Amino acid sequence: MLSSSTEIITVKNLSKYYERKIALSSLSFSIHKGELIAMIGPSGAGKTTLLNTLATIVKPDEGYLTITGIPSEKLTNRKSLAKKIGIIRQQFDLVGQLPVIHNVLAGRLAEWGFFKSLLSLILPQDKAAALNALERVGLADKKLEQTAKLSGGEQQRVALARLLLQKPEIILADEPVASLDPARAEDILSMLTTLVKEENQTLITSLHSVEYARKYFTRIIAIKNGQVFFDLPSNEVSDSLLSDLYQLKERSDNDET
Amino acid sequence: MKLKSILKRQQKNILSFLLVAAFIWSIFAVKWSEDLVHSGGLATIQQVALALINPNLSPTIIQLALESTWITLAYAVCGMTLAIVIAFFFGIFASGIMFDHTGLKLVFKWIFRGILGFLRAIHELVWALIFVAMFGLSPLSAILALGIPYGGILGRILADMLNDIPEEPIQALRASGASKLQCLLYGYFPLVRANIISYTMYRFECAIRSSAIMSFVGLGGLGFQIQLSLNDLKYDEVWTFLFFLIGIVVLVDSWSVHVRKGIHEAKKGFTFVKCSFFFTILLLLSSWYFIFSYEQASLKDLFSEKNAYYAQKFFSGLFGIGAESTPAFLNLEAWKEALQLTYETLRMSVLAIGISTIAMFLTVIPAARNIADGSLTLIRKWYAWLLFGFIRVLYIFSRAIPELVWAMIIIFILKPGILPGAIALALHNFGILGKLCAEVIEDLDERPVRNLASCGASKSQMLLYGVLPAVMPKFLMYILYRWEVIMRTTIVVGFVGAGGLGQQFKMSLSFFHYTDVTLLLLCYCILVFIADLISEAARKAAK
Repeated sequence: MLSSSTEIITVKNLSKYYERKIALSSLSFSIHKGELIAMIGPSGAGKTTLLNTLATIVKPDEGYLTITGIPSEKLTNRKSLAKKIGIIRQQFDLVGQLPVIHNVLAGRLAEWGFFKSLLSLILPQDKAAALNALERVGLADKKLEQTAKLSGGEQQRVALARLLLQKPEIILADEPVASLDPARAEDILSMLTTLVKEENQTLITSLHSVEYARKYFTRIIAIKNGQVFFDLPSNEVSDSLLSDLYQLKERSDNDET
Repeated sequence: MKLKSILKRQQKNILSFLLVAAFIWSIFAVKWSEDLVHSGGLATIQQVALALINPNLSPTIIQLALESTWITLAYAVCGMTLAIVIAFFFGIFASGIMFDHTGLKLVFKWIFRGILGFLRAIHELVWALIFVAMFGLSPLSAILALGIPYGGILGRILADMLNDIPEEPIQALRASGASKLQCLLYGYFPLVRANIISYTMYRFECAIRSSAIMSFVGLGGLGFQIQLSLNDLKYDEVWTFLFFLIGIVVLVDSWSVHVRKGIHEAKKGFTFVKCSFFFTILLLLSSWYFIFSYEQASLKDLFSEKNAYYAQKFFSGLFGIGAESTPAFLNLEAWKEALQLTYETLRMSVLAIGISTIAMFLTVIPAARNIADGSLTLIRKWYAWLLFGFIRVLYIFSRAIPELVWAMIIIFILKPGILPGAIALALHNFGILGKLCAEVIEDLDERPVRNLASCGASKSQMLLYGVLPAVMPKFLMYILYRWEVIMRTTIVVGFVGAGGLGQQFKMSLSFFHYTDVTLLLLCYCILVFIADLISEAARKAAK
């Protein structure tokens, strides 16, 4: 076990109820800096609720959560929270009507005041950083394109470029490749994991595909019925464990939407 | 082409820039250096405001208000009946669905579309003036004046809806041997039913406001009472009548919202929609009965020899037949003057839409439900609901009162000219624009805004980066669309002395200078036509 000083997220006996249905049931685990974690499990197992709890969007009903050593209920300042946690979801995160560069620069909004953000819409500020980020995701030539006109995979890369400007310590990704074809999905996942390693960040991703989880991530946490079903390094996850995880007859009766 | 692609990318910005420039140009239409306010104007504002808190609630006034409200409602119902009949026949012909032959189809389509366009191009109050000149102060003048332009609008919408129907169900019907008429009954009508009913309900709300202002040509109703009380400077009575007008508009508005919801849900059994259906029939019967028995409208009188004589005199007057001097529309000097007025009217309309747009932008954000409850930005403030309620009441208040009534009040405060007309138009359209745009924000996809929140954006940054770019195209569309409507209405606020073409129109009519009237009507039609063209082109660019 690594020493607790590198523990970036600690979760202890975390529970969440939705109208008497149990969404998360006494979860405990800890995550260290630099880990690449895939969260898998059947639909409705509680993956999205868990990610939203880690993002402090959902408040847990019981248990406690610390992020970089700070209890989650104390993380109320959005600007400083944005420096700790960045979020990427399916491709609906971007403002489709804005040109690409402004969607990338939105990653800087935590640092900018109102007037700088206003000015930037006319004269892009921190342009070099935005161009550099777009270069890294391979979209430098699309910087003035209207974002909605880009393909799904390209839009996800714009979202990655935005995270590069935001520079959070932890990235939470909720089904980041759910609506992409296999080739684009692998492209985005390899880019995401590479960038996270380069930036020395920590990544927690919920995924449907076990294959991608094994290929790109170092540790897999399986969630079932709101509980941790197993929590193992990727290379120790066996096929029998996986078939148990997805077995239909033990389906949870507390599905979330 | 690099330049071309830059222009295409920037087309929305260029459009916004042009619109702002147009507004600044319109500001200079007002001679700001001159004294704009009446000497007693400020005192009048105070009196009007005081009367707002103390409306006259004496039984006689309340009874009078109830009676006038009923007259206003009855005229609106009868006018809408006529409009629906016109829309039904003209709309079907204008859609061209009854013809197979392409050549014939196109000819019919364009002829009937042209007729519908003409019917709706002229404002109902102008129609009213024409009918009063022809038939005298008969309630049927008001009903015709309401029914014709509303028939034009409804017919156009019906034709568009019939054209937009997917072809497959109709082709299937044709293949099973249905005739053209059977296709109409089994295919077209059921497919457009829900949409056309919702639109008609919405138009009915507008018809109530129009019916109220019919009174200004001397036909009874709420507007007539408002005018009388204003002339006597009894502002407390004015507010009583205005509250009744607002009340009936809000009532009809919420009725139509419920019917529209009910139609789309399509429940079985004795529903609100069915209740409304029987209520509508009752309303129709009692309105027409009232018009013919109590108001003594008579079709026979309408076509009496006396009226035929007046109508003939009026029309020959319009065309300058038998006039001693050269008709105004053949006189270069008269054209020059009229075009000058047209230009002024155009600037008045731009000033009006500019003012209401600014007022809308200042209020629209707290007026959106998803901002008030914090679901969009995840920021909740205790005063948000208070602000929401206050602005929404302001919107209802401003849009329930017709432009003409606003103009009549403002004329007591500001001296005649472009400014009072523009302010009256702006006050009415502020409420409409505000409501429409707040609904755009309420329909917004919240995910991009939420993500900006996770990037650490503050509320104002979220509005700047997430909300504004997403709502701008729709806002622009509504602004341009309202500008078209304002253009048509400029002539009406002029009637009470708020400047532009309308003021001259009313004067020429009062002095029986009928050829001047023809000239001004021509200019007005040109203006409406140009406004429609500009607005259509701009809306395309905004998409």
